[in-house]
Amino acid sequence: MRGTKTIILGCAGLICLLGILSIYSSTALKEGAFWEIVYRRQILWVCIGILLFFIFAQLNYRRLWDWTYFLYALGVALLLLVYALGVARLGAQRWLRFAWFNFQPSEFAKIIIVIFLSRYFSKKSTSDISLLSGKFGICKGLVVPFIFVAIPVFLIIEQPDLGSGLMLFSLFLAILYLTEVKFRYIFLFLMVIILPAPFFWHVLRDYQKERLMVFLNPNIDPLGAGYTVIQSKIAIGSGGFFGKGWLSGTQSQLHFLPESHTDFIFATFTEEWGLLGSGVLLCLYYFLIRRGFAIAQRTGDYFGRLLAFGITLMLAIQVFINIAMNLGLAPVVGLPLPLMSYGGSSIVVTFIALGILVSIDRRRAVF
Amino acid sequence: MDRIKIVSALIICMFAALALGLFNHIVLRGRAYRALSKKNSIRLISQAGSRGNILGRSGEIIAGSRLSYDVLLLPQDAGLETPALKELAAVLGIDFQILQRYYVNGYIAPSIPVVIAKNIDVKKAIAVAELKSEFLSILVRATPLRHYPYGKLAAHVLGYVNEIDRWRLTKLEDYGYKTKDIVGFGGVEEKYDYYLRQEEGGLSVEVDHRGKLVRTLGFRQPVNGKDLQLTLDLQLQKITEEKLYGRKGAVIIMHPGSGEILAMASSPDFNPALFVNKDSAAIREIIEDTDSVLTNRAISSAYPPGSIFKVIVAAAALELKKINLSRAFVCAGKVFIGRQEFRCWSIHGRQNLVKAIAHSCNIFFYGTGLLLGGQPIHDYALKFGLSRNTAFELPYEEPGFIPSPLWKRLNRFGRWYPGDTANMSIGQGEILATPLQMSRMIAVFANQGFLVNPYIVKSVAGNELNVNHKKAQSLSLNKDTISYIRRGLRDAVLDPNGTANILSTLKVNVAGKTGTAQAPPGAAHAWFVGFFPFNQPRYVICVFLERGAGGSAAAAVAKQIIDGMQSGGLV
Repeated sequence: MRGTKTIILGCAGLICLLGILSIYSSTALKEGAFWEIVYRRQILWVCIGILLFFIFAQLNYRRLWDWTYFLYALGVALLLLVYALGVARLGAQRWLRFAWFNFQPSEFAKIIIVIFLSRYFSKKSTSDISLLSGKFGICKGLVVPFIFVAIPVFLIIEQPDLGSGLMLFSLFLAILYLTEVKFRYIFLFLMVIILPAPFFWHVLRDYQKERLMVFLNPNIDPLGAGYTVIQSKIAIGSGGFFGKGWLSGTQSQLHFLPESHTDFIFATFTEEWGLLGSGVLLCLYYFLIRRGFAIAQRTGDYFGRLLAFGITLMLAIQVFINIAMNLGLAPVVGLPLPLMSYGGSSIVVTFIALGILVSIDRRRAVF
Repeated sequence: MDRIKIVSALIICMFAALALGLFNHIVLRGRAYRALSKKNSIRLISQAGSRGNILGRSGEIIAGSRLSYDVLLLPQDAGLETPALKELAAVLGIDFQILQRYYVNGYIAPSIPVVIAKNIDVKKAIAVAELKSEFLSILVRATPLRHYPYGKLAAHVLGYVNEIDRWRLTKLEDYGYKTKDIVGFGGVEEKYDYYLRQEEGGLSVEVDHRGKLVRTLGFRQPVNGKDLQLTLDLQLQKITEEKLYGRKGAVIIMHPGSGEILAMASSPDFNPALFVNKDSAAIREIIEDTDSVLTNRAISSAYPPGSIFKVIVAAAALELKKINLSRAFVCAGKVFIGRQEFRCWSIHGRQNLVKAIAHSCNIFFYGTGLLLGGQPIHDYALKFGLSRNTAFELPYEEPGFIPSPLWKRLNRFGRWYPGDTANMSIGQGEILATPLQMSRMIAVFANQGFLVNPYIVKSVAGNELNVNHKKAQSLSLNKDTISYIRRGLRDAVLDPNGTANILSTLKVNVAGKTGTAQAPPGAAHAWFVGFFPFNQPRYVICVFLERGAGGSAAAAVAKQIIDGMQSGGLV
């Protein structure tokens, strides 16, 4: 449908525009050649993203069915490459260096895992067109997909990028739930994850432990790990109803808020645009996610349906975790706000995902 | 599908949680966060005005302000390793290492200049200012500091200035006082601090997360404090302080009609400049001195008045018609009241009121006192302004004390005996009074019956305070009462056996009364109160010597002072 495409592109484009304005504002007073062009790079990425959006919207998403295993292999290979020779930045090794930009394979791994799971759970028996997933035993319904998901997720957590790893696990859970896998398997899986949690505490890196502790009480370390959360809350809280005005946010302009153009862009935005602006932003995200959900619900093809659910949930979970972390409601994990945060990989992947969504909507009538 | 509905509901919940979080931060706790955000980014750089001057009677500056020059270095441009420091070390003549230590220790943030040398002299300040053209980060700041052109003259009247203490801060916080403010301690500096106080001005600047200056938001001009003019005659003040020097005690010279304090000295004294220079060893010495150097003995401690109290007893007896001039007592050196023996300091023979005042005869006043009784003496003492504050303008005034039969029953659980009345009649026992109260009392006889309200501040910022001072109130004494007592006071000087006869050699006609107050253990306190010239009094004088042995010692000091005034052309 033509309308859906316009609406999705309109919402996404508006969010990107607000994102670029905030990136411009938060880097306006920073010195150095790099900061002067940050917003221009973001504009470039958004343009590339929109181009890819149109390409994927034209593309028949059924082709992804055929490419699934190839894509999966590519994703794992890229993650291994990062593990072997990635570029370390901000204490994490997440990027691959290309000609003039850094490329973050974990972002691509997210969409690849969604495609993989959608394909895996939409197998049909030849005799009967009903889904098999409801009849899956514990091995096929839980263990095998978990192993497939765990390999890339392990590589991502190892980078270390706990935020994306946790996000993918919850996405995995959500897709299991939506795909009619028996509830007791999901329950079993949750138990297996939660019970040894105290053991995992020792596996976590020091800075991750610190962040969790600080999430529970930011004031234990106001100048260290808790600093960001406190400054982010101050930025959001001091915005007021109408905000301090574009380019006038003291928290982000004067660099009190770290990562003000990436993970904490929501705080930057809220400080300058106030409750009104952030309310509008939340509505835009909600609208986008509702659209995705609607597309999934009215799609007959099971692969397309799961894919649409997966993409929508991927978006929703990232938006929720990021904003909750800006508000101090979730621990600080390095997760970008889709479409807003500075970062090429995230922008491009989100636009590709939205393109696939539109493509699913266009072809649902075929089946 | 039920599962889809559940997930969709979950998403709605997630967004609702985010919206609630936003609402909580912005609407419910927004005010607190806004304050924090301001605290984050706004800094104040203060600029001090100068404290108001304290002037003498004819406008001489007793306590003014002088500029003290501090050298500061702005780390924002200078960095921590800087050639500017080397140059400064050469100009100031201070070792480079020491300067560097000050600089590193004093560092707070890049936008806050570090003080590396304080209170340098003007020549060096100019030399440093010349360096500024080369090194932009060097700043010379002129801070006004208290300055005393007359040294320690009138130190007790002025008080001193120092950093505000905890106790004062808790009281004054609501009036805009802050920690580290310089405020007055004691004297007019404390009492009139609100007027003398300068208003701080300064720059408010915006800084970034490293404390680097981003831009200036506003500037407020500092406001100087208001000037205070005192009634003190500096020439007179100098004379009194010189004559009192080396003794412990106080001297007050007052105008009998208006109550203007012309001189007020207390000894031992201190140099208020010590507190400006923060000479901690000397300050500790002052504070730990057992002679309580900081106490203004003219108002802040009360003593038994001894014989000068007899003037009040005489006035009471005349007013209540218990005696007249023809009533006489025979002094045989001692008298029995009850079973107790009361002594006079000499054997005077037959004494009437005038003679008894002149000779300070105890026997006469024992008799007169017994005719009066304890309560009327107490009442008259209060009428003459004793046992309560005079509402004088300096802080820490002592009210003194006058006993009464009722007080004795309530507090000592005993009867009031005639012996108590006898003791009271000669100013002994529990009676306590300050030199200021005694000056006020004797002024009644200099100005024909008016109790004046002493004051020391003439004007604030050029506005005369006369209007606000309470008018002298008439005690409605009989003309005869006043003239009889005046005769007695004059005879104390003229009579060869008068207690203040030493003053008869002066060219000016003095009238007065000496007092010797027993205060065991230790020597007696010496008093002299009087006024001159006798016919048209222009000065009331009160000399008090703590443990000064006898009234004649106080009279001798009074003589020196009046002598000094004569040679200075004041009388």
